[in-house]
Amino acid sequence: MDLFAQILVNGVLLGGLYAVMALGLALVWGVLNIVNLAHGAFIMLGAYLSWHLYTYLGIDPFLGLPITAILMFCLGYAVQRGLLNLIVRAPMFNTLLITFGLEVVLTYLAQIAFSADFRTINPSYAGAHISLGPLVIPLARLMAFGVAIVLTVGMWVFLLRTRLGRAIRATAQNLVAARLYGVEPRHLYAMTFGIGIGLAGAAGGLYGTVSQINPYIGATLTAKSFAIAIIGGLENPLGVIVGGLVLGIIESLTVAYVGATFGDVASFGVLVLVLIVRPSGILGKTA
Amino acid sequence: MRASDKAGEALLAVTDLSAGYGGMPVLRDVSLEVRHGEILALVGSNGAGKTTLLRALSRMIASDGGIRFAGRDLAPMTPDEVFGAGLVQVPEGRQLFDRMTVEDNLLMGAYRRADQASVRGDLERMYALFPRLGERRRQLAGSMSGGEQQMCAMARGLMAKPQLLMIDEMSLGLAPVIVEQLMEVLATIRTEGVTVLLVEQDIHLALSGADRGYVMETGAIVHGGDAKALIDDPAVRKAYLGL
Ligand SMILES: Nc1ncnc2c1ncn2[C@@H]1O[C@H](COP(=O)(O)OP(=O)(O)OP(=O)(O)O)[C@@H](O)[C@H]1O
Ligand SMILES: [Mg+2]
Repeated sequence: MDLFAQILVNGVLLGGLYAVMALGLALVWGVLNIVNLAHGAFIMLGAYLSWHLYTYLGIDPFLGLPITAILMFCLGYAVQRGLLNLIVRAPMFNTLLITFGLEVVLTYLAQIAFSADFRTINPSYAGAHISLGPLVIPLARLMAFGVAIVLTVGMWVFLLRTRLGRAIRATAQNLVAARLYGVEPRHLYAMTFGIGIGLAGAAGGLYGTVSQINPYIGATLTAKSFAIAIIGGLENPLGVIVGGLVLGIIESLTVAYVGATFGDVASFGVLVLVLIVRPSGILGKTA
Repeated sequence: MRASDKAGEALLAVTDLSAGYGGMPVLRDVSLEVRHGEILALVGSNGAGKTTLLRALSRMIASDGGIRFAGRDLAPMTPDEVFGAGLVQVPEGRQLFDRMTVEDNLLMGAYRRADQASVRGDLERMYALFPRLGERRRQLAGSMSGGEQQMCAMARGLMAKPQLLMIDEMSLGLAPVIVEQLMEVLATIRTEGVTVLLVEQDIHLALSGADRGYVMETGAIVHGGDAKALIDDPAVRKAYLGL
């Protein structure tokens, strides 16, 4: 029973991190109608950025998150303005091809720049944990979970309450009306993509505190983010929390009871199942 | 200068405007003017090109010809710039943000306004003008009745503080009582300095509520002038009013 509870706790903590990973992907998908296959590669870049900030400048990975997020936001804005705006209204197939190409290029560049070696961000509290009765809660994972929830809820409030957030929702719902009401789509799309990539960067920074980094982690993270976005739906950022938790818990159960190498297999099993049972996601619309 | 000081002068002047879709011409050399402070009716049957004209004015589609608005040339502008200049349309079919609340829809009308501080006050003014919207401010726009949606669309347009509000097919599918209420609102906002271009298929309704009117037929203006005179014009009566 204690073991089961511990597995659940692990799954929940992992799920929070997964939620932020998927948050940016779901935002970009919902508003720009682009399934960004390079999303995981941007998470990977964020992780490396965080690693560099920590290793060379001594900036704590959690305190460095805003820096990582802002730099990644700028990169995302530039990529949308310079490249993806050309294909926003193109057929889905074209956007898949271009973002797939982007994923390949980013991974390749990362491999040249950072080498294929595994990296870890090891702040002094990396091994610390809190004991709750029989349960062990690693401090870094708990902090990452906390930040993830704050980011996701913050995103929800941003979309619901701010002027820019409202314009982003409006554009996702009715592009013609948004243009008639003063939205300049190229700028708005670039802001949206920038925010999505900024969130990916933050997710990468968090990932780096709980897991090893190498240039090839992107593809798997994209696929997991995709599964979570499908489960949670694209309308409401809180949906990705549910999606993240579902995936996190299933994965940690699988790792514990089936075998460590089956974690990723389980995610894809979930994805396939959700697509079959509820093509519009567990919580709502996906488009 | 207040709008009333300029009464009678042209706010919008369109000269020899041509436009179409993918090489297929729809508008042929359309010229018209909208004067400060008036309610102008643009009428014509299905497919005459009224909506196409509004799309061209809002720069949603390309066109040839002159468009001057409040002393500025709109032709090279993008839709958001036209909107920023104070030329705002309530589009055909309303085009609300269906899965957003009434209030969010109205706030989107004020999205580009520089004076964000006075937006709250204007919301309350809209709720006074359209009490039904005030009761339903948290309701999703897409879940309201047709009449309520049209009110929401008009209030969203007014939230932009337009100089000229162009309303496309305001009365379509609405009960006569509702249409009457909306016409009263138009008369009210006109006294507040908003000029109105009312596009309608219901020729009698539009001309009886307007100061002047134009009749459009297969992409060209075929009649124009004082609204009362148009209603009495035998040619117009015969062709459009079935009299
Ligand atoms: N998006 C479009 N693509 C191609 N042709 C179009 C498009 N929109 C309108 N048309 C054509 O342009 C012509 C004028 O249409 P428009 O919608 O401007 O007429 P309208 O006067 O607004 O008619 P209604 O009173 O029915 O709204 C029609 O022949 C129509 O088929
Ligand atoms: Mg029309």
